[in-house]
Amino acid sequence: MSLRIYAIAYLIFLYAPIVLLPIFAFNDATIIAFPLAGFTTKWFDALMTGNALHAAVKNSLMIAATTAVLATLLGICAARAGAMYKFPMKAGIMGFIMLPLVLPEIIVAVSLLVVVVQILNLGLSNWTIIAAHVLICTPFSIAILNGAFQNLDPSMEEAAMDLGESRFSAFRLVTLPLVMPGIISSMLIAFTISLDEFIIAFFLSGASPTMPVYIWGLLRFPASLPVVMALGTILVALSIVLLTIAEVLRRRGLARAGVQDKGGFL
Amino acid sequence: MTSLITLKGVNKYYGDYHALRDIDLTINEGEFFSLLGPSGCGKTTLLRTIAGFESVSDGVVMIGGKDMAGVSANLRPTNMVFQSYAIFPHLSVAENVAFGLRKRSDLDKAAKQALVDDALDMVGLGGFGARAAHALSGGQRQRVALARALILKPKVLLLDEPLSALDKKMREQMQVELIRLQRHVGITFILVTHDQEEALVMSDRIAVMFEGRIGQLDDPETLYRRPNSRKVAEFIGKMNFLKADVKAVGDVIDLDVAGLGKVRVAAEQAPEPMNTGPAVAGIRPETLAVLFDGETTVRKLVDGVVDEVVYYGDMTYYDVRIAGVAQPLNIAMKNLIGRPVLEVGEKTRVVWDERSLVVLR
Amino acid sequence: MWRKMTSTEGGRGLLMVSPPFFYALALLAMPLGAIFMFSFWTQDFVTLDTTFTLNNYREILEKPIYGALLKRSLYVSGCVTAVTVLLAFPVAYFVSFHVRPERKSLWLFLITIPFWTSYLIRVFLWKVILGYNGVVNTGLLNIGLIDEPLTFILYNVNAVIITLAHAFAPFAILPIFVALEKIDRSLLEAAQDLGESKFMTFIRITLPLSMPGLVAAVLIVFIPTIGDYVTPELMGGAGGKLIANMIQTQFLALNNAPLGAALAIVAMLCVTAISLGFVLLNRRWLRGRG
Repeated sequence: MSLRIYAIAYLIFLYAPIVLLPIFAFNDATIIAFPLAGFTTKWFDALMTGNALHAAVKNSLMIAATTAVLATLLGICAARAGAMYKFPMKAGIMGFIMLPLVLPEIIVAVSLLVVVVQILNLGLSNWTIIAAHVLICTPFSIAILNGAFQNLDPSMEEAAMDLGESRFSAFRLVTLPLVMPGIISSMLIAFTISLDEFIIAFFLSGASPTMPVYIWGLLRFPASLPVVMALGTILVALSIVLLTIAEVLRRRGLARAGVQDKGGFL
Repeated sequence: MTSLITLKGVNKYYGDYHALRDIDLTINEGEFFSLLGPSGCGKTTLLRTIAGFESVSDGVVMIGGKDMAGVSANLRPTNMVFQSYAIFPHLSVAENVAFGLRKRSDLDKAAKQALVDDALDMVGLGGFGARAAHALSGGQRQRVALARALILKPKVLLLDEPLSALDKKMREQMQVELIRLQRHVGITFILVTHDQEEALVMSDRIAVMFEGRIGQLDDPETLYRRPNSRKVAEFIGKMNFLKADVKAVGDVIDLDVAGLGKVRVAAEQAPEPMNTGPAVAGIRPETLAVLFDGETTVRKLVDGVVDEVVYYGDMTYYDVRIAGVAQPLNIAMKNLIGRPVLEVGEKTRVVWDERSLVVLR
Repeated sequence: MWRKMTSTEGGRGLLMVSPPFFYALALLAMPLGAIFMFSFWTQDFVTLDTTFTLNNYREILEKPIYGALLKRSLYVSGCVTAVTVLLAFPVAYFVSFHVRPERKSLWLFLITIPFWTSYLIRVFLWKVILGYNGVVNTGLLNIGLIDEPLTFILYNVNAVIITLAHAFAPFAILPIFVALEKIDRSLLEAAQDLGESKFMTFIRITLPLSMPGLVAAVLIVFIPTIGDYVTPELMGGAGGKLIANMIQTQFLALNNAPLGAALAIVAMLCVTAISLGFVLLNRRWLRGRG
């Protein structure tokens, strides 16, 4: 019982900052502090007019969508290889691919910065951010897809081949439908991570900033903080919607494969 | 009988591991053939080699007179029932059964449906077509797997431990059904199993495998009565082994058997060529008997003392110690009306017959 | 060659894994090699001097500011790790042992949601909570526990630790939860059957068997925290800056990429050494129980 109280207190600790977001987003004061001043929606109205912000949002959406697709494609390859094949040096190779999960993001950021700018003499662009985001999102995709692939009976594809299908059409007709929920869930997670990522984007963004980089700029100006709160409220709501869809799909995938649910994303 | 599958000098290596060693094998059309052996003996590898899921490192696999080298699983005239059944969970029962018909452009929808219905009727699942696959019981999954494979009318049906996931009662029922089904469709069945009873009940011929090799290939009766090695004898049923000394080999074999004395047996009671010198005489527990008071026999007798009694209801198993043999003899007795159950320590007489002996090297 | 590759299981597996592997090789291993190389070069504003020199490392060794920042960074990461893992363990234990199976994924979902949402704004909001007119201070003032706002909770190392511990919480809970889930419940019954109390069963069975998860949680929190510069920038004030801030400054403000590269290498080496030491210390718990 005391454990349950502790766990609930912990959840409150986790959610404390997020709960404040809408409070200040609708608060009619420029200063982000208590006591509250009154209800307003003007900060949301202000969001509608910022051209620079719109450009940043558009940028981020493009980067996040591309990252989601690429990271998931790489994730499918790795998760399938990991779950269904034995091959030489498997543990080492898989560990290396998962390495970005624990590597400090600043290391990824500076090393790519050095390569792109100083060695390859290329300019920074959205593509440099995408390249880095795919790198850090792939391990998350693998972790999610692993669940989907490991629940597959390996003789399932063999059965399809035995019944006359080629290796590829066996994958398309049997494996793909069974892991589809995992694939969509992986894309949603990668999308969310990329959309939110700041540390790397700050180093690698070119002339057009991503949304978090733009927000970082706003944080220095007290006058723009309420707008940031409004933007944050929208982002959190969006993230929760995307994550909920991802979770629902993940569970549906498990149910379809006839497996009992044993836990969450990782 | 025409041969359907021929394997010549088949070897399979996984790195250093030698999984199949010099397999030579011919399987006939319409035959119910079993590969029997302990886990890791290579029986599943051999089956997957025939199916096309494993390539051979060396040797030839021929099906219907055609060399199968380079022919992948989807193009071979074989279909398989997997150990896990591999029922596609996202498809209905009917969709599972119709899976292999996708590329049959000569059939229209109605013809395919008719084939599916026939296949489901054949395995006793008529009317189950619309059910979701993951809602089936173990026995039903097995039947779907059978229907799915048989609908394609393969030359060979491969069954990889198909009954191991079922409980005892269901297993026995499915054994009978499989035999009936095989007689009905008339195609060659190759069954992989580690259960000797299952193999004996179902097969026309059985290949017993140990460590990648075929130890013995015979019909069930010969395999049981005349195993060609201690290994086979121990794997299939129980057998008492007595030290023996072969004195003369000819049309008959003369030998001294520990505890039983001088014995003369027919030459075919030694499945492998014999020489004079030390050997082993094997005798099955059910061919021995305990002689109860008031019973008489024309067969031979040896005195003994009851060492252990295990009561099974229909049967009683005795361990009886006889002079000159370290290991007590295991004897299986049917519990007929009026027969008492002996107690440990009781003196008794053991009935035996030289015709039931098998002489092994 | 192609035929040979696709005909064996090992070959197919390697073929399958090669796209993500080569991607990681090109975008991770090679860039890491590049900054390693860079750390032995020098840069004067925009011109790069590629003669080999140990000057960057010498500078890091000689100027006390770098050592101090590194020490503070490791201290902060250590504290964050300890706080995060200690706070997380009971939650993971609760979800694994006391939540009904069908509710477990809901709990995990609730725990992971804040982790995925708007990192920057979340860090900034801690400033609002801990600030002069923040939630904590106004709350305490209203209850009358304090007469004037507390100032020691913002713009220092403690604020950085609290914020990072919050950010990495789910990262710590998940591996511990997975390890706890793997424990066969009959082992616990066996221990109690053999006469142990519930508490001693926890000490002798549950804790040792959950060590792989604990070790993973420690690593997965400790290593990335060293690279965070947002939290110290927003929460740390003047005395709360960390090594990552210095790396960022060298690269983006001072245009001294080689020195920044050398700092990154040194920081990574320290983290790796500590992590390896930690794994070695715990190796008896990890053997055969991946």
